[in-house]
Amino acid sequence: MTRQQTSSTNDVIHVVGPIVAAVGVAMGISAIISLLYQGEGAVALTVSAGIAVAVGLAANKLTATPDDISIREGYIIVTVAWLSAALFGALPYWLAGFATPLDAFFESISGFTTTGASIFPDPGALPPGILFWRDMSQWLGGMGIIVLVVAVLPFLGVGGMQLFRAEVPGPTPERLRPRIRQTASILWRVYVGLTAAQVILYLLGGMSVFDAVTHAFGTMPTGGFSPRTASLGYYSAYHQYVTIFFMYLAGVNFSLHYRALHGKPRSLLEDEEWRFYTILLGVALTIVLAAHLLAGTYDSLEEVFRASAFQVVSIGTTTGFATADYVTWPAVTQVVLFFLMFVGGMAGSTGGGMKTLRLWAALKQGVVELRKHLHPRAVMVTRVGGRVVSEGIMLNILAFMLLYVASFILGALLLAVLGVDIVTAAGASAAAIGNIGPGLASVGPAENYSWMPELGKAVLCVLMLLGRLEIYTVLVLFHPEFWRR
Amino acid sequence: MRILIVGAGAVGFHLAHHLSAAGHDIVLVDPDRERAAYAQDQLDIMTVVGNGASLAVLEQAGIAETDLLAAVTNVDEVNMIACMAAGQHNVPTKVARVSNPEYFSERFRHRNAQRGVDVMINPELECAWETFQLLQSEAASELAFFAGGRVQLLGLTVHEGAPVVGRSLAEIAAAEPDRRYLTVAIRRGDETIIPRGKDRFEPEDQVYIIGESKQMPRVLELAGYHGFKLRRVMIAGGGRTSVYLARILQDHDIDCTIIEADRTRCVELAEELEKTLILHGDATDMELLEMEGVEGLDGFVVLTGSDDTNMLSSLLAKDLGVRKVVALINKIDYIPLVGKVGIDAAVSPRMSAVNTILKYVRRGIVVSVAALRGIEAEVIEFSVEPGSRIAGHTLADIDFPKNSLVGSVIRGDDVIVPTGQLTLAHGDKVAVLALPDAVKDVEKLFQ
Repeated sequence: MTRQQTSSTNDVIHVVGPIVAAVGVAMGISAIISLLYQGEGAVALTVSAGIAVAVGLAANKLTATPDDISIREGYIIVTVAWLSAALFGALPYWLAGFATPLDAFFESISGFTTTGASIFPDPGALPPGILFWRDMSQWLGGMGIIVLVVAVLPFLGVGGMQLFRAEVPGPTPERLRPRIRQTASILWRVYVGLTAAQVILYLLGGMSVFDAVTHAFGTMPTGGFSPRTASLGYYSAYHQYVTIFFMYLAGVNFSLHYRALHGKPRSLLEDEEWRFYTILLGVALTIVLAAHLLAGTYDSLEEVFRASAFQVVSIGTTTGFATADYVTWPAVTQVVLFFLMFVGGMAGSTGGGMKTLRLWAALKQGVVELRKHLHPRAVMVTRVGGRVVSEGIMLNILAFMLLYVASFILGALLLAVLGVDIVTAAGASAAAIGNIGPGLASVGPAENYSWMPELGKAVLCVLMLLGRLEIYTVLVLFHPEFWRR
Repeated sequence: MRILIVGAGAVGFHLAHHLSAAGHDIVLVDPDRERAAYAQDQLDIMTVVGNGASLAVLEQAGIAETDLLAAVTNVDEVNMIACMAAGQHNVPTKVARVSNPEYFSERFRHRNAQRGVDVMINPELECAWETFQLLQSEAASELAFFAGGRVQLLGLTVHEGAPVVGRSLAEIAAAEPDRRYLTVAIRRGDETIIPRGKDRFEPEDQVYIIGESKQMPRVLELAGYHGFKLRRVMIAGGGRTSVYLARILQDHDIDCTIIEADRTRCVELAEELEKTLILHGDATDMELLEMEGVEGLDGFVVLTGSDDTNMLSSLLAKDLGVRKVVALINKIDYIPLVGKVGIDAAVSPRMSAVNTILKYVRRGIVVSVAALRGIEAEVIEFSVEPGSRIAGHTLADIDFPKNSLVGSVIRGDDVIVPTGQLTLAHGDKVAVLALPDAVKDVEKLFQ
């Protein structure tokens, strides 16, 4: 029996369909939550869920099952899937009348990309259902919606690696099991487990169930949406410390979590990237602390430590929760935080940014290049974690960093053209591509993005998607060769 | 003893040569007709043409009556299979030459022992260790250890103006009452001398000394060598021996650089050796050597595949002022030249392998043995067994052959410098230097 060769358009629609439907199901869950707490927003969520499920299933049923997904198709599928998820996920905000279509899309894509940049000046005033959906979208986006579909739905056997590679953060996705589905489902289980642990610790501290779940949903994906206008500043020191700890964990490679939980706790300490990630955060914290102590910003030592640690870890892991408005802090601390925006979490974590693995590998390559000046005829390789980084991967890493910085500069430039001041433009661009949320100056943690010019919001939407899908996946679509058959 | 050697390559040939000269009956198996014929022409041995891993061929070669099998082809797997086949005929000792480091894991060795490989010899690794030992002493051209390292044989060249020059052995013995070492051989020009008390040292003498390892610094001083510490070493050539040597140097925190001409191999080396600097270039490239500060090196080791390159490169390094230069020389005929042209020491994986195998062949009364390269002689460590004819006799009474000399007697924890009046006792370990014609007679004395 010969199967008919399916077209790319057919394949993309067929695979994206179930992902949209999955987003619909998640909105359905939010609708139920909405009914449980208070009716407002439930209608908008139910209608949105209905539309997404119907469109998603129809797209899947009306198209032929592809026999194979090519690498090319893999890239289109991932980008289209994320755009569609954000599009359908924006419906509730708009239908409930809380936002214009563009603002709704901004809020939605900010959620799925785990950025946490909001157009709502006062999230605390929103109904619980909508708030739950905000954090739900982050939680889905953190580990990757496609990975979820791959892990849960059995239909994606072929081409799974293409999608996995395009979506999972970090230069080289690690395989814990021979099959993608097994690896993906392990990572999802760790993710769910850590989220549950965080909820329990929150509850022990006396947080309400709703607040505990939404905050955990905002933490594990390093998202940053809080249902409280004052973010974590609303809660006790205990809750803040729990959040610091889990934000830190969310920035660690999930494969390492898996190994550490499976009787190899030492694998964490032996991991070179983990040490770099931890030391980097430690150094940043020390500088911020020192700046505070010199400036005398805070009265109590515990308070200054907690505020510094919270903001450093929040920005360093690209979460974006806040307990203090660092925009008012000494300039040194803001420079440190701005730098941390570019670093991000470890490869294979839910954190954004360039990833510590890339920075660490690039630094080591820098040292190698220095040594090569001393020994022009030397043949040297760069090692990370004892393993040799091939020249191909190293070039990929360096080119990524270049494209990342170039995208940041272009984004900041476009914002500045639109009349945004320079510090705000730089902060917003870095915060968007790094999937952080709060930036500097007028987009700091106490501010929001509602005042941005419309075009500026569109630019930031593109930057958020670029950052989440690690640039190549999206940019490859713009290469002329991509569309040549 | 009847010995079956599988593989008539360089190791097999030299092994056959040494063992045949020592009076053993040798059967050599090799699939290459010409190589087998050459060996039969040159040596007093029997050859069988065929695959040494085949039981039928081994049976034809008389495996049933064999006392020791040494499988030394350059294919590890063939060597191991030959040993396993020999196990079926209850050959007491089976030695395999194995070069692949993967076969040296603890588990693999254990399993191999069960399957019939008694001893695995890795020529490259042995050679790397030997090179490392040579490197540690500026003077040593040859080095061998006995009695678990407490006693050593040291070969060195006497410097012009050294304290010993012009003095006789007896004079030095009188001046150094606490000495526990003995000069056992001197090579002067082409002549090998077993020295007596009246013999005098001359500059450029190649001297062989057996003695307590602890006293060797004093020996070096007398021969005109001063303070030497190995800190920086450069290795030319990136073969397997180089990798082993670099690993040993890394483990001892000695700064190590490898020069390799093949770019692809360079990358492999860089991946394998984390702490070693890998340079892409030629071992005889003066510009490169100077750029990398060759004059400040403590040791330079040339281990490329070509003897000619090794000789030339060593001379360059010596000329540029490296204190210790060791070269890999495979051609046995070249070895006497090494000292003459100023290279400090020569090594060869083949010779290292032969040496190691010799130790197993002579097991029993022989504790250890080292075949020297600079002179045609062996140093054999015997054990004086109960019921031995010589136990209870003084050395003067025992009729040692003319071309042999007792270098050291190890009794319990003591190292004794032998004199004619010393009476041998059970349990003594005796290190004897013997020229080839004397080896058999010396062995007889200890039986």
